[in-house]
Amino acid sequence: MAFSEYLAARDFLSIIGQPVITYILLVSFLQGFFSIIYLLKHKDNYYSYLVKCTYIITYLYVLGFLFLIWFHLQIYNTVLIEYPEFLRQLIPVESSRFIIPLWIESEKLYFWAMVASVFVLTVQRRKDLVSFLGVVLSIFSTIVYFLSNPFKEPLPIVHNEITMWYSTLSSGDGRIFEMAGNLFGRITFYYDSTYMWTHPPMLFIAYASLIITAAACVYMLVKRDPVYDEIAYRYAKAGYILLTFGMLIGYPWAVEAWKDSAWWWDPKISGSIMMWVLYTAYLHAHIYAGRGKMWKATAYLGIICFASLLFTYLLTYIVPGIHSVVQP
Amino acid sequence: MKYLKNYDYGLIILTTLVLFAIGLVCVYGIAYYNYLAANPQWQYTPLYIQYINNMNSFLYPFLVLLLISLGLCIPKRLLEQDILIKFGVLALGVTIILTFLSGIETGLGFILAIMTGVQCIVLILTIKKSKTVRFEKEGYIVRLGSVLLHLGVVILIFNFVTFRENPFHISIFWTGTLLVIAGNIFSFYPGRINSLSQLK
Repeated sequence: MAFSEYLAARDFLSIIGQPVITYILLVSFLQGFFSIIYLLKHKDNYYSYLVKCTYIITYLYVLGFLFLIWFHLQIYNTVLIEYPEFLRQLIPVESSRFIIPLWIESEKLYFWAMVASVFVLTVQRRKDLVSFLGVVLSIFSTIVYFLSNPFKEPLPIVHNEITMWYSTLSSGDGRIFEMAGNLFGRITFYYDSTYMWTHPPMLFIAYASLIITAAACVYMLVKRDPVYDEIAYRYAKAGYILLTFGMLIGYPWAVEAWKDSAWWWDPKISGSIMMWVLYTAYLHAHIYAGRGKMWKATAYLGIICFASLLFTYLLTYIVPGIHSVVQP
Repeated sequence: MKYLKNYDYGLIILTTLVLFAIGLVCVYGIAYYNYLAANPQWQYTPLYIQYINNMNSFLYPFLVLLLISLGLCIPKRLLEQDILIKFGVLALGVTIILTFLSGIETGLGFILAIMTGVQCIVLILTIKKSKTVRFEKEGYIVRLGSVLLHLGVVILIFNFVTFRENPFHISIFWTGTLLVIAGNIFSFYPGRINSLSQLK
């Protein structure tokens, strides 16, 4: 009964969420179009349309996010993993519920895009920068739709785990021991972990802020106007604090959850350290940004930092490791 | 004063370059890990320990340089420039000797222990608003933030290098983390912190 309710909720999420993300895609095309037109012609009415598109997209992202929250609540309410009596020596609890974070699997890129959209609305001082960011957001929304649509196949890994559990339990398969152990570990140290609820969102909010830093650095190089440097620095400061805290609070979690695994100098950790030291270098170099050509070096550094951020994000998908979804 | 400014500018450039070099060490680590991972069982072979040791040995010299260039081990906020350079050279010399005698971890541990002590002294003097300590930037909150940030970084590195097996490892980690975050907030938003403290 509980499993069928979960399946119904999953289907319903697809039904209500798919139109939302489709509208996001369509409006993002308009957003990209008006951004490019404004960058070419500099007419205020195009900018006004662009801002309206950005507001609509942000509202739609938030609406979709509310749908995702509802779905996660449904998973919590409907899926109860009750460990059989004969597994009691293996599993220290009678049952578990999934408290699934809102930034895993296909939802993480969606969350990042939503926060980025909100942040772009806070950049009001430079129309050309907002337009450039409009192009970036438009591409971002297209990537989310085609590569990381959270409504198309909601939480495929979680779904697979839940489905496998119920089917193995009902068939009396001997693999239930192994599955119960794995699922208990996944729920305790991954889904329901406090760190999973704090570590990734801080990083994604930081990433969203650092998109604006990178865009402002590009404009700093093109326009040579110190106001872009000031915008880049403002968002870099906020992003850096969240990046630092987000990365650091992942450490006690790693020590606890991966105590029997080889995770030291894992590629994602190496990538994160690389990204962090580069942003530290950017903020350090910025102290003397007003001296000689330092503004130029700082702006280039801001762009290199963002390239390292993208590289670190993609490492999950391209290099094997404990953080990765690819295996050798 | 201009001479001191140039000196600080040089240190900033050096710090930036060292940070960049640490980034390159990480890129090497990613590429080498990927190469080794062609064998899915490689982490259960001696290659894994060798990889970890190699990465640590590549990182540690840059960490020593970083700590020196950041002005963490050299107490630039306490001493005159000529004494400061002598102190830096002495600290670096002892670190190198210890490294040759007992390994890089002992050398790094030595320099980190000195830095922790120095940063604690700087923190106490800053809180007491002592005129002995010199700063780049004006304002009590910024100065406090800078000291907290530097002390936090030293504690975190010290903890990772020396206390990984210590029962207080995680407690020390949280102390360092809180200092770094508080330091960041104080350094980046001194105006807001000031207005918040005035509200009370």
